[in-house]
Amino acid sequence: MRIMLNDVCHEFDGKTVADLLTSLDKSQQGIAIAINQQVVPKSLWSTTELSEQTQVFIFESIAGG
Amino acid sequence: MSSFFIAGHEFHSRLFTGTGKYASSAAMIESLTSSESELVTLSLRRMDLKNQTDNILQPLQQQGMKLLPNTSGARTAKEAIFAAELAREALETNWVKLEIHPDPRYLMPDGMETLLAAEQLIKKGFVVMPYVHADPVLCKRLEEVGCQCVMPLGSPIGSNMGLASRPFLEIIIEQSRVPVIVDAGIGAPSDAALALEIGADAVLVNTAMAVAKQPKQMGKAFRLAVEAGRMAYESGLAEKGVQANATSPLTDFIGALS
Repeated sequence: MRIMLNDVCHEFDGKTVADLLTSLDKSQQGIAIAINQQVVPKSLWSTTELSEQTQVFIFESIAGG
Repeated sequence: MSSFFIAGHEFHSRLFTGTGKYASSAAMIESLTSSESELVTLSLRRMDLKNQTDNILQPLQQQGMKLLPNTSGARTAKEAIFAAELAREALETNWVKLEIHPDPRYLMPDGMETLLAAEQLIKKGFVVMPYVHADPVLCKRLEEVGCQCVMPLGSPIGSNMGLASRPFLEIIIEQSRVPVIVDAGIGAPSDAALALEIGADAVLVNTAMAVAKQPKQMGKAFRLAVEAGRMAYESGLAEKGVQANATSPLTDFIGALS
């Protein structure tokens, strides 16, 4: 499936937010997901299905402030 | 030295810290550990998908520090609320350091947007710690809408200019019913000590520890200064005055020569 991830075109195998995260080689600690400006709670990652061209943003905790 | 509470959480250390500007994650952890800080603030950014970022959460949590996400980068109340909701998911906490600064040059906090955001975040169940100007009226308004503490600035953020806002901080401290945490501008341990001496409940220090040649030792220096400042406040400082007031009687000695 092809989606827009942090404003960049991204292709991955799978359907859900959880599938997307698995496809990324990233720590899943301290991250948050938003689809269409709405935060998707962790409890819904495995059941939230994405469709082609969905705008997904992933945020991570970093040093600062 | 007494402990204090924010939203029912007890803090034994009155030194809150930031995580920015350190040369490395290792230097940051060493400095924060030696500071014995119990609350440390972090930012949230869009994930860098190309590069691995250092995992700083685990070592901070291993030290037993409470993580305080901040909304830095937010320019409006709407952006700050979105950032707070993301942070609640990312760090599994309903605490947020609310900072809204539309101008990246000076990072001056926007009081009006901050009050708007605070009101809405409190309705959504957040513990809101607002970073604001040392404005006694605004601090009172924030307290009235339900902020659990206020975080007025000592001087411009990152400026290391100390307590330039001292007279206003003193008013805020005098009239506040929630803890007052002096945030921003604290450049030296003596600034931190002074903030505690005038009755601030805590300080938040970042730049001064992070950019020190020896961040670990500077962390300890701030810890000691904060402890000294608070102890002095609790002990009761002697009043200032211009008239001499000798600590030992002199008259008998002079009289013996005549």
